[in-house]
Amino acid sequence: MSEAILDPAAFAHLLAITGDDLEFVDELVDTYFDDAVIQLEAMRKAAENGDAEALVRPAHSLKSSSANIGASTLSEACRSLEADGRTGVVPDFAGRVTDCEATFAAVRSALLAERASR
Amino acid sequence: MIGGRVLVVDDTAFNRRLLVRLLTSIGHETLEAENGREALALLRDPAVVPVDVILLDIVMPEMDGYEALEALKADPQLRDLPVIVITGVDELASVVRCIQMGAADYLPKTVDPEILRARIGASMSAKRLHDLERETLEQQRRLLATIDRQRSELARFLSPQVAALVSSDDGEAMLAGHRREITAMFCDLRNFTSFSEAAEPEEVLGFLRAYHGVMGPLIVEHEGTLEHFAGDGFMTFFNDPVLQPDHATRAIALAVAMRERFADLGAEWRKRGYVLEIGVGIATGYATLGRIGFEGRYDYGAVGHAIILAARLSGEAAAGEILIAPRTYAAAEDAIEVQPAGDRQLKGFSRPIPVYAVTAMRTKELAE
Repeated sequence: MSEAILDPAAFAHLLAITGDDLEFVDELVDTYFDDAVIQLEAMRKAAENGDAEALVRPAHSLKSSSANIGASTLSEACRSLEADGRTGVVPDFAGRVTDCEATFAAVRSALLAERASR
Repeated sequence: MIGGRVLVVDDTAFNRRLLVRLLTSIGHETLEAENGREALALLRDPAVVPVDVILLDIVMPEMDGYEALEALKADPQLRDLPVIVITGVDELASVVRCIQMGAADYLPKTVDPEILRARIGASMSAKRLHDLERETLEQQRRLLATIDRQRSELARFLSPQVAALVSSDDGEAMLAGHRREITAMFCDLRNFTSFSEAAEPEEVLGFLRAYHGVMGPLIVEHEGTLEHFAGDGFMTFFNDPVLQPDHATRAIALAVAMRERFADLGAEWRKRGYVLEIGVGIATGYATLGRIGFEGRYDYGAVGHAIILAARLSGEAAAGEILIAPRTYAAAEDAIEVQPAGDRQLKGFSRPIPVYAVTAMRTKELAE
């Protein structure tokens, strides 16, 4: 499960382009955590209001930053939500946002575990 | 490559931090904005040092990438700034739209620094080229404005015909010197010397101003080329640089018009106790025309037999008299009324020359 949640290649790429600056990548990951929390809150709010339009931007943002960090599963879930949000009809709106929250929690644990293991 | 200033526009802190880090690592300075509105405010703030390249995210709150791009391209001050769109994984359709809207390039959000370096370098070179082009155009515009100004200034000092000649394509060849048949006209005032001695200098200058004010427009009207004027005298010639088949008639018509117009001016001054009359000499013949003078002060002038003859005839003319040479008479015969004024022995001429005094124009209109 954790392998699918976090793509090691994306993380390695991030490390490579920053010149193997682990400290900076850790800061970047922390930024990602802060940002993801904000986007997930917005997505949760959109789900509560049944507001498909309000889902698009936070889902897009979380999709993009999750892809960058290597959180492929979360990124894909957000991509699908963003796409549905654009059509105005989001099946299982609340359930899928809840899934995203759970996936994010797993991503966060995996990333923090990786950091602790060094 | 010299580092530039790059504005990063992205609503996600993660993306901004990463891009800023990458840009800094390859030697660029960075500015950040969280959305299009903030970016435009920064770009339009006169206190902010201008940027060289903009990295622009598409999906943003407040003002998204499309709106920002549209506003940038509509702003004459910002339109030439290269915009590189930064894109997420599945945004190819958006990229196409942005490039159609005028974006210079696109980059993925997690970009390899070498690619970032190359793309930004390319955009900055394109912008520098564009700036250079704009600068060159501006210089050219200023240069043309200067030439225009000089030309109109020149027209105030030279005959309009000569001013036009200077800026024409065959101007240089014409200025270098050429031979042509012309009709030269000398005009000056009888009694001017005694008048200028007796009258107050202010009066003399006031009179000259009025005199030039009357004669100048007549010369322009008859399209004479004014070679020079000095005090009360001036020399005008016809058929050069603009060809005038009726040059002899034109010169005489100008002289007759001057005599008529001067009558009013002369009458006014007569009331003040000064008797002033014009005397005119006109001669036709070949002359050498072109640039005469020395480096720093050239005139467009004429040299030749006809010029000297016209000057002598002007000296011979009595008050209000227009004396013309036989060749001028032959050329204008049908258009004028004359009285023979005898054979004159003129200084510098070996034989006496038959001279005619013009009494009137036969027709009011100039021959076409």
